[in-house]
Amino acid sequence: MGSLEGIITGFQTAFSFEAILFVLIGVFVGTIIGMLPGLGPISAIAIMIPMTFGMEPSVALIMMAGVYYGAIFGGSTSSILLNAPGVSGTVATAFDGYPMAQQGKAGKALAIVAIASFVGGTVSVVLLMLLAPALSSVAISFGPPAYFALMVLGFTAIASLSEGSTIKALISAVAGFMVVTIGIDAQTGTQRFTFGSINLLDGIDFLVIALGLFAIAEVCTLVLNRKDNTMKNFHNIGSLRLSKQDFKEMSGPMSRQSLLGFIIGVLPGAGATIASFIAYITEKRISKKPEEFGKGSVKGLAAPETANNAATSGSFVPLLSLGIPGSGTTAVMLGAFLVMGVQPGPMLMTERPEIFWGVIASMYIGNVFLLILNLPLIPYFAKVLKIPRPMLISLVVVFSMIGVYAVSFNTFDLYMLLLFGAIGFIMRLFSFPAPPFILAFILGGMLEQSFRQSLTISNGDLSIFITNPISCALLILSLLSFAFPLYGQLRKKKVS
Amino acid sequence: MLKTVNQRVSLVLLLIAIFYLIFAYKMPSFPYVIVDADLIPKVLGYLLIFLAVLLFFTKNDETDEQKAKRNIPKKEIGMLFGVGGFILLYIMFLEILGFVLVTALFIYFCSWFLGYKNHIANALVSILLPVSLYLMFTELLKMNLPSGILPF
Repeated sequence: MGSLEGIITGFQTAFSFEAILFVLIGVFVGTIIGMLPGLGPISAIAIMIPMTFGMEPSVALIMMAGVYYGAIFGGSTSSILLNAPGVSGTVATAFDGYPMAQQGKAGKALAIVAIASFVGGTVSVVLLMLLAPALSSVAISFGPPAYFALMVLGFTAIASLSEGSTIKALISAVAGFMVVTIGIDAQTGTQRFTFGSINLLDGIDFLVIALGLFAIAEVCTLVLNRKDNTMKNFHNIGSLRLSKQDFKEMSGPMSRQSLLGFIIGVLPGAGATIASFIAYITEKRISKKPEEFGKGSVKGLAAPETANNAATSGSFVPLLSLGIPGSGTTAVMLGAFLVMGVQPGPMLMTERPEIFWGVIASMYIGNVFLLILNLPLIPYFAKVLKIPRPMLISLVVVFSMIGVYAVSFNTFDLYMLLLFGAIGFIMRLFSFPAPPFILAFILGGMLEQSFRQSLTISNGDLSIFITNPISCALLILSLLSFAFPLYGQLRKKKVS
Repeated sequence: MLKTVNQRVSLVLLLIAIFYLIFAYKMPSFPYVIVDADLIPKVLGYLLIFLAVLLFFTKNDETDEQKAKRNIPKKEIGMLFGVGGFILLYIMFLEILGFVLVTALFIYFCSWFLGYKNHIANALVSILLPVSLYLMFTELLKMNLPSGILPF
């Protein structure tokens, strides 16, 4: 199937009544979950996976994409209204969004966010359409050594996913990799770390890890903060109308940051958080009135929002075309693909064009829905923030339980969910970041497989990774990608 | 000897790594297999030991906010274990009493335990949500959730 036919198939899938309906549901539910304190896109996607089990994979994944950007928008909403960013990608949004809300202009801030997200999202989807197929066609010739190097490149994201200590991020990743070794080894049939339990023969399910480390661990945090009353303080969001001057101020940051955000999003490990911070800093630097930043500046709000949405679409480039996730969220998205029996990677475009192009095409619809659905509904969405915390805690537990039970119909996995919830909470207490764990869990299996296949081909000769030009180039790229954030951190430490 | 948090954590990690390595070394090896099933686990075990040692000698650079997270009052620890207990009961009785009943009881009592005093709203959510979820899964998604002692 040619590229054009593929695009047509994808658009046909995405514009079918069923797909439009599910994107709408995805964006809607994603926004609501994203708004809830602590629950970001990772929890939103993980919670929604079981709802898609009876669906056609293409429609299910289209809905997941809707959940993804809905959750990011939802996160921005709670950043602005409560100064409580649900995810790190929307931290920069709070810098100017929250002061604006305090001045009684929350409606205006939310309107800016909706428009900036729309522009950033749409521009980057166009770029995604151009770049992803090109990358796929290069990657289609990859053998096991190149795949191994590609997975190593994916792993380098860990260096930039640390929240302070790189050692802790690496430990978290090693732990994630260790968990994926549990179960029967596919190549030799050896049972690894099953301790005689038949329930562990197939390994631990991805949903158990994702929901345990994120949703259940968040439940623990919510239990401790259940008396937090910030949500009750918020009443009126004010008018949503923007003036001509506002549009004029937004146009510059939006056009610059959609491009920059996209490029940053494509790089493994960079993602929405770094994109939004870089966008904020750049706009502040080039602004004629930098003193307005942090006090409710329109530019200061539009820039990070455009960039984080552009980076979100950008992160789909390595995910769809190479099958490597660049962040915790895209790792969970990759997990969602795998749960539905779809393997993202170079073959996806040729083997399942309806999914490859369908997901991309759905982003256009998703962005439009975000704009037309969210703007008028913002005042009602904001009421979600008033759900009493004790009730919220019970609901998150129930949704996580159903999510895991619906995969295996086995209560053993529920006990594992509780165990990983406890592990996730302990990790939080000791500042071990969870995204590297999930990234290593997703990539670890593939990395081991391609490593062993490569060495079987070369009869145990490790030089295969150097003599293969693609693999060699990717390994050098990995080294640079790992070293740069580390160098940056060291320099920052020296300066401070 | 173990003065800092990092040192204590690294000791726990060392124990985990040793435990993991013991089982990695117990794996059978096969003749004609170039890379056996135990290679990656062994590499991971030693890597964890290396990182744990690094952590042992690393200065704790946590922010005050990060450190404050560990100061949990005793009463709150009790609340955490209470919620954990509710979840354990939920899992144990899910297949015996059925999804609708056990979920309704869980939502009501867990929310009440955590301090939600609006009993009418609590009861309404506790009944309506499990019933609608059950219908959605069994009728729309054609997936069977445990019906338990209820006749439907």
